[in-house]
Amino acid sequence: MTRPYAVLRAGYPYVKTIGARSRTIMPADVAIADDGTIYALCQGSHYGKGKSGPIYITNINDENLGSFAWRNLELPVKHCEYLWPCQIVLDSRGILYASDQAVSFLQMYTRDGHYLGRKGGEEGSEPGEFNRPSGLAVDAEDNLYVVDSLNHRIQKFDKDGRFISMFGEFGSEPGQFNMPWGIHVDSEHDEIYVADWRNDRVQVFDTNWEFQFQFGESGSGKGQFRRPTGVAVDKDGDIYVCDWGNKRVQLFDRKGKYLMQFLGDATISKLQLEQMLNRLSAKQRRIREEADLEQEKFFEGIKSVRVGKDGLMYVPDFEHYRIQIYKKESYPLTEQQILPPLKVPTLNPN
Amino acid sequence: MSERDLSLHAHLLRRAGFGARIDELEKISKKPYEQVVVDLLNPESQPDIEWDITQRYYSTGNHGWNTSWWHRMLNSERRLQEKMVIFWHYIFATGLSKDGASPSHYDQIEMFRKYGMGDLRTLLIKLSQDPAMIFWLDNNENLKDELNENYGRELLELFSMGVGNYTEGDVKGAAQAFTGWTFSTPLLEIATKDQGYSAGFVYDATQHNDGEKAFLGHNGKFNGEDIVDIIVKQPATARFIARQMYAFFVADEPAVAAWNEIPPQDPKAIEALEEAYFKSDGNITAMLRVLFNSDFFKDAKFKRVKTPLELVMGVYKLTAEHQFPSPGYPDRRAAIHQMGQGLLNPLTVEGWPRGMGWIDGGTLNNRVNSAVDMIDDANTPGVKMIVSRLSKLGKVTPEQLVDKCIEFVAPAPIRSETRKGLLQYAESGGVLDFTDPSKKKENEARVLRTVQLIVATREYQFV
Repeated sequence: MTRPYAVLRAGYPYVKTIGARSRTIMPADVAIADDGTIYALCQGSHYGKGKSGPIYITNINDENLGSFAWRNLELPVKHCEYLWPCQIVLDSRGILYASDQAVSFLQMYTRDGHYLGRKGGEEGSEPGEFNRPSGLAVDAEDNLYVVDSLNHRIQKFDKDGRFISMFGEFGSEPGQFNMPWGIHVDSEHDEIYVADWRNDRVQVFDTNWEFQFQFGESGSGKGQFRRPTGVAVDKDGDIYVCDWGNKRVQLFDRKGKYLMQFLGDATISKLQLEQMLNRLSAKQRRIREEADLEQEKFFEGIKSVRVGKDGLMYVPDFEHYRIQIYKKESYPLTEQQILPPLKVPTLNPN
Repeated sequence: MSERDLSLHAHLLRRAGFGARIDELEKISKKPYEQVVVDLLNPESQPDIEWDITQRYYSTGNHGWNTSWWHRMLNSERRLQEKMVIFWHYIFATGLSKDGASPSHYDQIEMFRKYGMGDLRTLLIKLSQDPAMIFWLDNNENLKDELNENYGRELLELFSMGVGNYTEGDVKGAAQAFTGWTFSTPLLEIATKDQGYSAGFVYDATQHNDGEKAFLGHNGKFNGEDIVDIIVKQPATARFIARQMYAFFVADEPAVAAWNEIPPQDPKAIEALEEAYFKSDGNITAMLRVLFNSDFFKDAKFKRVKTPLELVMGVYKLTAEHQFPSPGYPDRRAAIHQMGQGLLNPLTVEGWPRGMGWIDGGTLNNRVNSAVDMIDDANTPGVKMIVSRLSKLGKVTPEQLVDKCIEFVAPAPIRSETRKGLLQYAESGGVLDFTDPSKKKENEARVLRTVQLIVATREYQFV
């Protein structure tokens, strides 16, 4: 899809919160299918009544559509359980890939939860081996990109799992990484974005790994990062960065210029409301009544941001067992409707 | 560096931290003992733990801080700062079980880290304003017209002066002064139905008794700060803190409840610490400086029973596991709990046992099994290092195997009967031949087994 020449951004209103403790148990990341189905990769799961597995399926209506990736109690820890789940992506064939920073392989499933096996094995630094895999992305050809965080590189595989190439090394120069985390690939626009975690920046490459530009530096001001984790790009080319240490999502234009930040606007989800009405005691409701409610809306421990093709922004709110959703309202502008960038600032708008 | 110096450095690092592997010890002991003490007393001079790496894997907030704390204890270069967090947690023992309010307990531990090596006055005021403590000892229910003496009593009995140094009237005076010291109700986490957010200290003037109080011979319209001001000037307070320090860092003492009846085993040591207290206006670091540079400390090697935490941390140090975040800590949290020391979960308001109180048939079994279980892999960096060092000797006799492993694992005086037992095992396999590559696995297994046997000895239970 061709990007507009420029964008008139009307706003990014908060839409709603979905999920609850019983379902989205410490969600680390989400994959959004074209039909709006949401696959939430969660650090927690439970096995009792109303059990829920580490990959929980839902939608914007907060419906429980099932779960999978059960911990197999008969097997050693490393087989099916997620210890430090990191990211999940869905390719056009309906294959889900999920990473776990506690192990050195990915796990694969169909959309209905059929286990397809692993990718990777023992920890290593040879092609096809991983050391703490984290960020995941797929391109239009279903090639898979894996952020191999402790090898400070990105590995690319074809849709059949064959190793194609790898890029990066440890360092802080362009093209070098320090424990990178998230990745976004847009093959249509020839762009790869990498959240270069310990360098507090986002690096942008073309799909031949030619460095294009970078933005961000250490800090908590506008456009600064404290360990960026996730990165996503919408149809207009606007860039969303999950600024983990600053507990916010920052929005940048396609050139990396800061636009605004999101700190969280959560309200009670449908599932949470059911819990509050049916499970909280009278004392617990009173305690809630006495407390400062404002703090409840903020993000806590967020590790990822994703943008669906519907233009919705999804923020898995890890510490609060929920997913916050925003919608961008914007209007495309043609070259005739807006001047080229100003060479100098002006005080006179006329 | 003489052997004596190395053992003294090792002693210091075991007591003022959680121990050191032989390679760490060799590196640190290049500095004179006195300089190592200076480094320990000035935590800011040492690099802090890499917060980002810790939290990347162990997570942030309510779900990860406890594990992050373990990781910090094990790996922080600010060794004494972390040990002092435990020191104060022992004295100001507060239980998570009563409230489930994890964020407030996190705040309390952070408070110990921040103020635990400063002056006692500030620390006691921060403690009195700490929501976890306020709730633990019911000071939120200490109201103007409905006195609750719990916190006032324990402040005197368990936190500063000890039994026999105050009257019931003083308890009442303290409790009255702390009326209205409460906290804001924290927001409930809907998901867990527990406290999801931090509580903050609140001074509720409407619930404060603003009248005259009598406290330790003083009269006035005291508030909480005034009570602390009086407490920190008491000789009994200096003696209490000095004895706590002695019991924690030097040698086992009887339970606090008996201190009024059983005098300190080393009165001169206590006097020296008291003197440091008064000379420095109650500065904790000043007392620690005297303690670590004293002969009574230097002569106290292996005179104390390891706490379960010290035991487990010591084995972690030995295996060099978890230098970089990796799964596994929660299991050991459960292990020390079984040995009688659940952190954030004291047995009573008086905290945990001391000395031989840690040891009974069941806990000793748990201690030995846990230590041995933790050394079940020859591929851990620590065991590999021991194997590597031994392999440089080429062919290793049973005597060398035993003596070198003792040197690397625990440079403690080993009783002759213990050494004999270890030697019996070593001799059963004959000479280890590291020059023969085909014996690599066998050699590793024998070294591993020897190390396991050493951590299972009686001697390894002492620090």
